[in-house]
Amino acid sequence: MNKKLITLLLSVLMVLFLAACGSNDDSSADTDDSNGTEGKTDETTDSDLLPYEQWKELDPEEIEGDLVVITHRTDIVDSVYQDYKAEFEAMYPNVTVEFEALADYGGEIMPRINTEDFGDVQYLPIQVPIQDIPNFFEPFGPIEEMNNRYLGVEERAVNGTVYGIPIALTYTGVIYNKAVFEEAGVEELPTTQEEFLAALQLVKDNTDAIPLYTNYADAWPLAQWEGAVTSTAGSEDYYNVDILDDPRPFDAGDPHYEHYKLMYEVAKRGLIEADPLTTDWESSKVMMNNGEIATMVLGSWALEQIQDAGPNGDDIAIMAFPSDAERTLFSMGADMNISVSKFSDNKDAAFAWVDYFIHKSGYSVEQAGGISASVDVPRPDALAEAEEAGAEFVMLTPSPEDKLGLLDEIDKESEVGLWLEDEKQILIEAAIGNRDMSFDDVMNRWNDAWEEAYNKIVE
Amino acid sequence: MFGLSRLSYETQKKIIIVSFLVVPLGLLALFAYLPVLNMIWYSFTDWNGYSAKEFLGFENYKTIFTDPEYFRVFKVSLYYFFATFIQLAIALYFATILSFKVKFKNFFKGVLFFPYLLNGVAIGFMFLFFFRPDGTLDTVLTAIGLEGLITQWLGNPNVINYSLAGVSVWRYMGFNFIIFLGAISSISGEIYEAAEMDGANRWQQFRYIIFPSIRIIISLNLILAISGALSAFEIPYIMTGGANGSATFVIQTVNTAFKYGKIGLGSAMAVLLLIIVVIVSSIQKKFFGEGE
Amino acid sequence: MMKLKRTLTSVGKYGSLLLGAFVAIIPIVAVFFASFKTGTEYTTTGPLTPPSDWTNFDNYMRAFVDGNMLTGFKNTVIILIISVIGTTIIGSMVAFVLHRFKFKGSQYILGAFLLATLIPAVTTQVATFQIVHTLGLFNTIWAAVILYLGTDIIAVYIFLQFMDSISVSLDESAMLDGASYFTIYRKIILPLLKPAVVTVFIIKGVNIYNDFYTPFLYMPKSSLQVISTALFKFQGPFGAQWEVITAGVMIAIIPTLIAFIFLQKYIYNGLTSGSVK
Repeated sequence: MNKKLITLLLSVLMVLFLAACGSNDDSSADTDDSNGTEGKTDETTDSDLLPYEQWKELDPEEIEGDLVVITHRTDIVDSVYQDYKAEFEAMYPNVTVEFEALADYGGEIMPRINTEDFGDVQYLPIQVPIQDIPNFFEPFGPIEEMNNRYLGVEERAVNGTVYGIPIALTYTGVIYNKAVFEEAGVEELPTTQEEFLAALQLVKDNTDAIPLYTNYADAWPLAQWEGAVTSTAGSEDYYNVDILDDPRPFDAGDPHYEHYKLMYEVAKRGLIEADPLTTDWESSKVMMNNGEIATMVLGSWALEQIQDAGPNGDDIAIMAFPSDAERTLFSMGADMNISVSKFSDNKDAAFAWVDYFIHKSGYSVEQAGGISASVDVPRPDALAEAEEAGAEFVMLTPSPEDKLGLLDEIDKESEVGLWLEDEKQILIEAAIGNRDMSFDDVMNRWNDAWEEAYNKIVE
Repeated sequence: MFGLSRLSYETQKKIIIVSFLVVPLGLLALFAYLPVLNMIWYSFTDWNGYSAKEFLGFENYKTIFTDPEYFRVFKVSLYYFFATFIQLAIALYFATILSFKVKFKNFFKGVLFFPYLLNGVAIGFMFLFFFRPDGTLDTVLTAIGLEGLITQWLGNPNVINYSLAGVSVWRYMGFNFIIFLGAISSISGEIYEAAEMDGANRWQQFRYIIFPSIRIIISLNLILAISGALSAFEIPYIMTGGANGSATFVIQTVNTAFKYGKIGLGSAMAVLLLIIVVIVSSIQKKFFGEGE
Repeated sequence: MMKLKRTLTSVGKYGSLLLGAFVAIIPIVAVFFASFKTGTEYTTTGPLTPPSDWTNFDNYMRAFVDGNMLTGFKNTVIILIISVIGTTIIGSMVAFVLHRFKFKGSQYILGAFLLATLIPAVTTQVATFQIVHTLGLFNTIWAAVILYLGTDIIAVYIFLQFMDSISVSLDESAMLDGASYFTIYRKIILPLLKPAVVTVFIIKGVNIYNDFYTPFLYMPKSSLQVISTALFKFQGPFGAQWEVITAGVMIAIIPTLIAFIFLQKYIYNGLTSGSVK
């Protein structure tokens, strides 16, 4: 709380200072013009004031406009989001909020980006090459400043400027059913890959439950595995830094190789569902709650959903991804970054919404099952428990300045799709014998594609 | 009307031709051909959908032709291609039967057309239910004592495309059926009566009356069905997302363009698909004639 | 002998019809059952197990209210009516011109329509989007309407097929009375095309009614949602409540079914009074 006050004070001082210097004669001095949308285009270039806080000097009454907020939550846009809208409009009586919910955010925003008509508030699409972000989005402030207040903002920062704030930070682990483990005779939580496979085998031998449910048919849950690669690597430096030095990052011994080896082994040993092609995500939550599934690899956001899917919520918990590394790591990954369009006519209202959404809405904990990006918001209990048990929650080290966005670029060019499900499906198909490929064949396929893209881009 | 009748028919004809065609052709140019031209332009660039475009010449086409992976998926189209003929045959058969005297005619027409009324997402979900182990299909097969046939309808890589093509037939058969029905009903009843007098049986009536009169429609249905088979997308996309060897060329194109941000390469693939579809359709037209 | 053969034929005929009907209906029965089940019941019972409580309309209520289906119906009806009428007018105009007049280039026009149909729409969406946006139609119902009108070979073909059965002598006798070509189109051809219009209505109507791609991309505003996008409300990146979706599907089917039953007789009546009964 007091942090915010200090910030406010600082910015007020800043304004006074600047006004006194007269170095900036048409931006912040303008704030009394009742239409807070004019003359606000270039103040970010020569002012040290954080752009996204300009509106805080205005009276809530003075902030006005019809705000279009784009969200990916088709499921709660007519319920939870309506409460947000009511709360926000009560604070800013002259703002009207309208939502547009996109089921496939990445796919639907792309054609719109090029038309300058993509809402006032939206997310930074992961498909936008990082260096092109400034062409479409409004800057929030310099990274040094923003880093003190928010987690995970460095990931998509460009040239030291931040363009979005993560709506939540979540971590990936193995969600498991305690009762099933007990029935199977798993005494201690498995911490290494070997122990994990042994535990699953016990589940298979001693219970009717499915040891590990992949959700292959819905496919996107397979991409969740990628969030735990850092646990396998045992270092927060691997993902955005070390991997960039290796043109073939899928060789035996490399974190990705060891990580997906587990996926392959689980499938090969028949420790997954009988017919992967007819899985159903919605049913899987109920099945897990009822003790028909022992484990699923998912983000922390799913924990609450599975606990609520039936009467046995107390049996469901999350553990760290089994890893042979020394440290037990949960890597905090940024969810989507909320952003403001460069072409918005209501930037004050838009930034006010961003501020409300991050600090006051409670979205990150209640709806995303993670933690808030704001350093002021206390962490949920689940994390404290895990930390006591010796787990570390770490933020990934960002890529060095000269290699920003490189990982993304190689990933797209090679079509390996680290965060996509296609290649993981192929891996499972190979493991269950539907494809004539060994694990090493799949890894080499990734390696070859990666290397070719790497050499093309890193020249 | 507008004093048109005072003009000579020759002048009227010109006015009608121009005024009746200007809007349809305008729409056609704007929403079909302009996007295609755009797409062709993209196919010569490295555009990712966001950044500035760079002209590459035939680079994208080279990429496609030097990698057989891109063409392997056309094998999957063959399943849909053969399913198409089965679909048209079934549709024509039912349309013919139901053009004559049958009890509960309207009930049967309604039921056969019904699947076409459903939306694709609902269908995808229904058939996931249908093909699941111990799902609807297995339940039915067990009930009639054919449990020996049971396999993983989607999990078995040798069966998956038959299953999906089957869903496609189930979904679109009603569409062909209704079009055939409409066409057959436009044949004047007197012709049948005359034929009956001459003692023509049903098969002969079909062969010499129905078939020739609905040639145009059959030809159209064929072209649509074949191009549909080549660009099969919705059913496999909704049901399996192209997993387990069920990816079609369009799924691959969409993934390339939107998942991996290679609009340029994806456009080149789409251009190639369009060329292939046009070639196949013209061959089909040559063989089948235009009913002229 | 003759009698036996006839019996066999009719057994074959009805057998095939019943089989066809069974195949068509069985997957839908599963949806119908599911729409009355509770969430737990849905995941724990088989697809062909009837629901325990046939009066459980909770899913229907939820689908209708939470899915905001009333708005969906309103927008769908508006788009449907405008598009279908437009398609009929445009399609019949093209068919009239192509069928009754021979002129330079006429053979290419049909080809142009056909070629347009062969373009897989998914692949050209980026370019199409820019055009719709340039015209200022993005996020209005006109975006959907104009795209549905844009290219419709099916209507043109159906009308062409029907024009074959409308004798040119009708035109000629009207011309003797001094009717203009426009009057011939308006007063003779259009009314006679009625069965074809109904077929086009149904085919086109179903297409528009079930299409979710266009509304999704071009009308994302909540107030512009249509029936097919309403169904998606329950299916996002966070899972799908299938029992509610099935109820939504059933709600969405009902109007189509009513319209279909209501229009059936038009489709099946032949053109002439001595139609095949």
